[in-house]
Amino acid sequence: MDKLFWIDDDIIKSYQQLIKDTNNINLFKNIIYENKSYVLYVKIVHSLINDYPITLLDCDFSNTELTNLGFLTLDLQKSKIIHPKILHSVDELFVTISNLNNWKITLLTSGTTGVPKKITHTFSSITKSVKISKSHNADIWGFAYNPTHMAGIQVFFQAFLNMNTIVNIFNKPLRNMHLLVENYLISHISATPTFYRLFVQKEVTFVSIKQVSCGGEKLEKNLKIRLKKCFPYAKIRNIYASTEAGSLFASKGEYFKIPQKLSQYIKIIDSEILIHKDILGVSNDIPLQNGWYYSGDIIEIIEDDPEIIFKFLHRKNEMINVGGYKVNPNEVEEEIRKIENVNSVRVYGLKNSVLGNILCADIVVNDITEKEIRKILSSKLQPFKSPRFFNFVKKIEITRTGKIKR
Amino acid sequence: MEQLNAIIKIITDNKDSNILLEISLDTDLRVDLDFDSLDLAELTVRCEHAFGVDIFDDGIVTTIKEIMEKISG
Repeated sequence: MDKLFWIDDDIIKSYQQLIKDTNNINLFKNIIYENKSYVLYVKIVHSLINDYPITLLDCDFSNTELTNLGFLTLDLQKSKIIHPKILHSVDELFVTISNLNNWKITLLTSGTTGVPKKITHTFSSITKSVKISKSHNADIWGFAYNPTHMAGIQVFFQAFLNMNTIVNIFNKPLRNMHLLVENYLISHISATPTFYRLFVQKEVTFVSIKQVSCGGEKLEKNLKIRLKKCFPYAKIRNIYASTEAGSLFASKGEYFKIPQKLSQYIKIIDSEILIHKDILGVSNDIPLQNGWYYSGDIIEIIEDDPEIIFKFLHRKNEMINVGGYKVNPNEVEEEIRKIENVNSVRVYGLKNSVLGNILCADIVVNDITEKEIRKILSSKLQPFKSPRFFNFVKKIEITRTGKIKR
Repeated sequence: MEQLNAIIKIITDNKDSNILLEISLDTDLRVDLDFDSLDLAELTVRCEHAFGVDIFDDGIVTTIKEIMEKISG
């Protein structure tokens, strides 16, 4: 029987079908802007088989966001006709992609200046944390990330390179998610703490899950206790990853260990983690100082001999983590200020038990309602970047240097 | 209940949701109202603002009845 590759409601595709679908593509596009996850993967696999570079864009980017990123509608439509390699078997697929020369993947990550950074990874850098072995043959993944972001891509490669089945449980109603885990005997889930906060229910346990990975946000103690109850047979791992570097460290609790093999590439200065350029993706947008990238992650060192063990404290910059998505308040404020009848605005994160943080805005307006503002923003910003609570005020405080107080 | 109804109406209105539903105690936030995690987060903020209670403080609530229980303490 064909090994299943992708299950998403009534879309059920085998690895053999995946090959067939890639064989049918005659036009290739370097920019992938696709809202159907399976089609997205067909396009990624096609780029691997035919060895050409790709850029992944979030399918919910608005035209304004795409223009701000430097992508014109014309760019998105550019395609070339090729004579694709025709594959006949799954074995052939993995032999073909073991020898890539031109393939690269460019992802976008939220930048601190309002313009997202483009980070390019080679096949070896994007798959450096992928573990391929017989022991992973039978893994079944519950997919719970945005497929165009680093974490989603990493789960895809971990599953794909081990020929595992991936079951999409992202953005499904809770009951369906639970049923999918039970019916398909999902063994591995990687997701943000926000996902787990919604997934985990009192007195509901899932015995098929062997590994639970958390990333993108701080995993609080209370949630870890709930995870242990919900997944009694699972190892619970916390992962430190970034779009710039991919996955770097994993931890069992809140303490991360810097592995020996990475020790020469990681430095801690003034409690901030610095990552050496040799283990970063390639980008003109990553600021380097003498070959080191200042990650903005502030940590506390717990032990430093023989290996460094640390825990995260907070981010150095202003980015607000909304359910694992990093939001730059400057970008959001800029978009809100463009709206007629808005005089001044301050966007900030408020601690929230569902998402970690929720975006709020203090706003000074002439004559416009919250509903009208949110309607305008829904066509300009991705949903997680739009404030969900507006506080109408008479004045916004500014600092002595003229900056908005956060 | 009336105040909670008003809060839910704000969220569904802002979503431009087509769901026209009479809210009852059994209404399920995710299944009946199609609330996603952003909507649930908004609901917590608005409830905390109105009632001074974090309804998701010790785990998820799924129905209106559960919210009412949290609010009434």
